[in-house]
Amino acid sequence: MARSKTISPNVGRLSRSQVFAKRGLHKGQKKSEKPAASETPLTKEVQIGGEKNGSTRIVPTSKAPRYYPAEDVRKPKKSRKLIVPTKLRSSITPGTVLILLAGRFRGKRVVFLKQLESGLLLVTGPFRVNGVPLRRVNQAYVIATSTKIDFEGITIDEKINDAYFAKPVVKGRSSAEEEFFAEGKPKEKEPFSESKAADQKSVDKAIIAAIKEEEYLAKYLKATFGLTKGQYPHQLKF
Amino acid sequence: MTVSEYQVVGRHLPTEAEPNPKIYRMRIFALNEVVAKSRFWYFLRQLKKVKKANGEIIGVNLIHEKKPLKVKNFGIWLRYDSRSGTHNMYKEFRELSRADAVKSLYQDMAARHRARFRSIHILRVVEIEKSEDVRRPYIKQLLVPKLRFPLPHRVQKTRSTFIAHRPSTFN
Amino acid sequence: MSESNFKRFIEVGRVVLLRSGPHSGKIAVISEVIDHNRAIVDGPATGVPRQSYPFRHLTLTPFRLSKLPRGAGSGVVLKQLTSEGILEKWNKSAWATKRTAIEKRRSLNDFERFKTFVAKKGRRDVVRKSVKVAKKA
Repeated sequence: MARSKTISPNVGRLSRSQVFAKRGLHKGQKKSEKPAASETPLTKEVQIGGEKNGSTRIVPTSKAPRYYPAEDVRKPKKSRKLIVPTKLRSSITPGTVLILLAGRFRGKRVVFLKQLESGLLLVTGPFRVNGVPLRRVNQAYVIATSTKIDFEGITIDEKINDAYFAKPVVKGRSSAEEEFFAEGKPKEKEPFSESKAADQKSVDKAIIAAIKEEEYLAKYLKATFGLTKGQYPHQLKF
Repeated sequence: MTVSEYQVVGRHLPTEAEPNPKIYRMRIFALNEVVAKSRFWYFLRQLKKVKKANGEIIGVNLIHEKKPLKVKNFGIWLRYDSRSGTHNMYKEFRELSRADAVKSLYQDMAARHRARFRSIHILRVVEIEKSEDVRRPYIKQLLVPKLRFPLPHRVQKTRSTFIAHRPSTFN
Repeated sequence: MSESNFKRFIEVGRVVLLRSGPHSGKIAVISEVIDHNRAIVDGPATGVPRQSYPFRHLTLTPFRLSKLPRGAGSGVVLKQLTSEGILEKWNKSAWATKRTAIEKRRSLNDFERFKTFVAKKGRRDVVRKSVKVAKKA
């Protein structure tokens, strides 16, 4: 719970320094000294042409602005938010069989490959086993089972990252009609890129080999998950 | 809320007239140490010319039951103030410890006589060693050899949340 | 008393099943009756420490130690439990085997549940086919 309870919305009971003291933030404070800022003199001497001007003059280093804005411009509030990398649930390790709970493939059991930089989980069906392609899912929409396939010696290509799944940016199309129709006929569907199909195959190859080691595992992955009468997910062991 | 038994030791503060006052010790049943000390002063000032303002407590100890897994029969003498007068009573309890017996005594008095903790004085708690000495029939009936009885009319809990089921009490 | 219709009684030596608390699901022996609500229960063979237990949280089993004296200690109870083979009798009983089976089914994980589902399907198939053959004949 927040240490500084609010008096009214957005106004805390404690000041920023009191919160700092209460949370014991000084413990994590960095002690190293900052390099001393090099001092720039306020004024400098400038050579001046013209005989009657006395050859030199002292002028300020940075010139004062010509005019000031009549109205104060509000400075945007500095954001103090941190980007904390998403923590992977401890029950999920490479090779864990997951049950997808949302999206097009809900109910499917898939194999977890790795966590991507964005925090999303990279999973695969494998495609040949149950039709789930290489895919990113949020771990919130997943049940981790205790079943794991042997992931030893399996590595996932580095090129499969968040950028790999990004949609290609298409410029210059304005109307919806242009997007779906060409010459008065519905446009042909774009074929699935061959390089991606090859990637899918190469990733799945080792995993399918590992799945074949255990009996019923392929069948298990092919089956979808569901609850029957009298089954309560909080009482089940996964 | 469990009653425990305390030994409270206290005395009058030493004065010039009496540099070595007499030390008093009491075994008191109370919910906690604070209540035990308070009850000590309550009883002592009724018995002797000592009160909390001119006295001191030397020590408070918790008294543990020696054999807490042996079933014993206890006889308890008590005095209680009813709404119309003061009565002395004798009751028997079958319990595992003295403190448990006193606890169920308070429950029993509250149930049968609506008596509060403040209106009950426990005079004496004694373990009845010989079963012939047991006076009350409700304890005597538990002391017969080869005691056995069934558990009739047991109500099983039904598992369903919404649909009502008639309980089955037959077993 | 001997003409009673009841089969199971609260009595010294009666083997009971604990229904609540940290030892729920284990069996123990009544070694002393405290009153009409509680008894001292002891299960040295099943890891149940000697303690007072309300009848409300006990279920009576058909087993009993016939020669247990009143208020016997844990050592005597353990000796009589082993000499009468109560634990083996209990484990062999339909009640206990059903309980362990339910317990086992509950502790299965998702993959194991799937495997039992496949096995049950296989069994169904065999039964159905053999019934059909038997009907024809």
